[in-house]
Amino acid sequence: MARAKFLCDAERCIECNACATACKNEHEVPWGLVRRRVVTLNDGEPGEKSIATSCMHCTDAPCVSVCPTSTLYQTDIGIVLHDKDTCIGCGYCFYACPFGAPQFPKSTLFGSRGKMDKCTYCAGGPEEDHSEAEYRKYGTNRIAEGKLPICAEVCSTRALLAGDGETIGEIYRERVVHRGFGSGAWGWNTAYYPGDAG
Amino acid sequence: MSDAAGGVRGRDFTGYRIAGALSALLFLVLLAWQIVFMLGGGDTVTPEVAWSSAATEGPDTPGARTGGGTLVAETLTARTRLQDERFRTGPSAEGDVPERALDPGTRLTTAPLEDGSSLTAAWAVPDDDSAAMMHESGRVEGRSSLPYANAALFERPFARDWRIGMSDVITHMGALAILGMAFLLSAVLALRGRVPIRRGKSGRTVKRFGFLERATHWLTAISFLGLSFTGLAIAYGETLFVPLGARAMGTLGWWSTWGHVLFAPTFFLGILIMAVMWTAKNLPSRLDAQWLAQGGGFFSDDGPHPPARKFNAGQKLIFWSAILGGLVMVLTGVTLMFPFYWLDLGGMSWAMLIHAAIAVLLIAVFLAHIYIGSVGMHGAVHAMWSGRVDRNWAAEHHDLWLKENASDTEGAR
Repeated sequence: MARAKFLCDAERCIECNACATACKNEHEVPWGLVRRRVVTLNDGEPGEKSIATSCMHCTDAPCVSVCPTSTLYQTDIGIVLHDKDTCIGCGYCFYACPFGAPQFPKSTLFGSRGKMDKCTYCAGGPEEDHSEAEYRKYGTNRIAEGKLPICAEVCSTRALLAGDGETIGEIYRERVVHRGFGSGAWGWNTAYYPGDAG
Repeated sequence: MSDAAGGVRGRDFTGYRIAGALSALLFLVLLAWQIVFMLGGGDTVTPEVAWSSAATEGPDTPGARTGGGTLVAETLTARTRLQDERFRTGPSAEGDVPERALDPGTRLTTAPLEDGSSLTAAWAVPDDDSAAMMHESGRVEGRSSLPYANAALFERPFARDWRIGMSDVITHMGALAILGMAFLLSAVLALRGRVPIRRGKSGRTVKRFGFLERATHWLTAISFLGLSFTGLAIAYGETLFVPLGARAMGTLGWWSTWGHVLFAPTFFLGILIMAVMWTAKNLPSRLDAQWLAQGGGFFSDDGPHPPARKFNAGQKLIFWSAILGGLVMVLTGVTLMFPFYWLDLGGMSWAMLIHAAIAVLLIAVFLAHIYIGSVGMHGAVHAMWSGRVDRNWAAEHHDLWLKENASDTEGAR
């Protein structure tokens, strides 16, 4: 059984933000929200690294656990999806997320939050596949077509890898062996192996 | 009833005591359910839906399942391979059709999954290769060129602790505190009965709370109830209401989050006026130690009732819970209403934890307040309703206040 993961090779990411842009465009993500973004560490200093980040689709996902309305749910390949019809904008997932992925459109002046929005691993939502409602709320559903998230498939340096965790792990390890260095799979410990997180 | 007859005793309120016993039983059952629920294994998140491939057009019936999870895994794994080095896969993921690509008439789709717990267990254990390549867990924040709050954050493992604090500690402890308090109060009513007016009602009343005092009390009280119910709906909705249907909980929860914000300003106004109005009379005094030492005369009908002025030590504790607890609630609540206004995500996480923890404590404490002000004590409810209390009630519970008040009235005449 495949386990869908994201892996960003920090030695290859050039902070071009193509992933973030492609994601916004593919899903017509509303103004003020961004499902994928690039974080630069040690900006302008030796050892500068950039990492693309989004919802990591965690194992034993904290957001799913704390959601008071069962809006969030996980699929058998690890993808964490959400149902915007039942979301109440309470923000629990936002505090429980180790990667700052859930976001809320500002719906009023008084800070009340709209429906949560986050990366769907390009797998849409609970609506019928490729329906108008699904596209409006969650964007396109590439997984239904047997494709992988647009952010990874568009990555020009192939820094951002998506798909079966074992396979992207192999691809990454082979690279590290070939070039002789690598700073590791960022975020994997926190996201995918909560028992081992330390 | 006169002193000679022994006076009214708490155990004489038979009807109240039966009701108390019944509700004690009810809360005991709920408490037991909560404890079983709490100890009944972890709340590990397990997958709820499974992917499979289905034909949407062509010779097969539309929607008919043509393959299970294995085909899904093969399709996605083949596609994953396309991200390998370019000399193997060509310049573009779209360049060559992968071996296992779906034909246009086939879709991957989801259906409910019975039990996904084995998947979560399997995922959580890294193989040696994955373990070796993992970057260590830790807080990582950098810079981002995107103009959004929090865009520079990469990783904060604290969130996993937040989840434990929220869904394991505060939610369970809060349920224990609220149900436990409800059980104790019911048990007290069943065993002890109401706190009586020992000498019975005199039929003559004395003014205890003016209109402004009562109006402020009820403004705050109604706001507090509104905030409590909406807050509880959000905090415990998954357990209490999702069985009614996720859609119902969505609607209820949506109104709850809105209502929670709407009740907040009146609550704040209420505690502000109360603070101005009552702080001077609620400063601690030597009488309070004596009152507390005697348990406020709450548990026994016999013996002298400890003296008190307008507010006894119990009421002072309630007052300060309302003022201090209320201020913490307003401060953390307003912080959460305006994300990133003055705190970052870490600070807001703590604000949320404090907000939830103080909330469940306040609800438990104010259950006791509601109890003693209504069924718990004979004659007490009139103080906040009509504003006038029976003279005998006042003489027993607030003797010093009655004396001062009586002399004031006489002086005015």
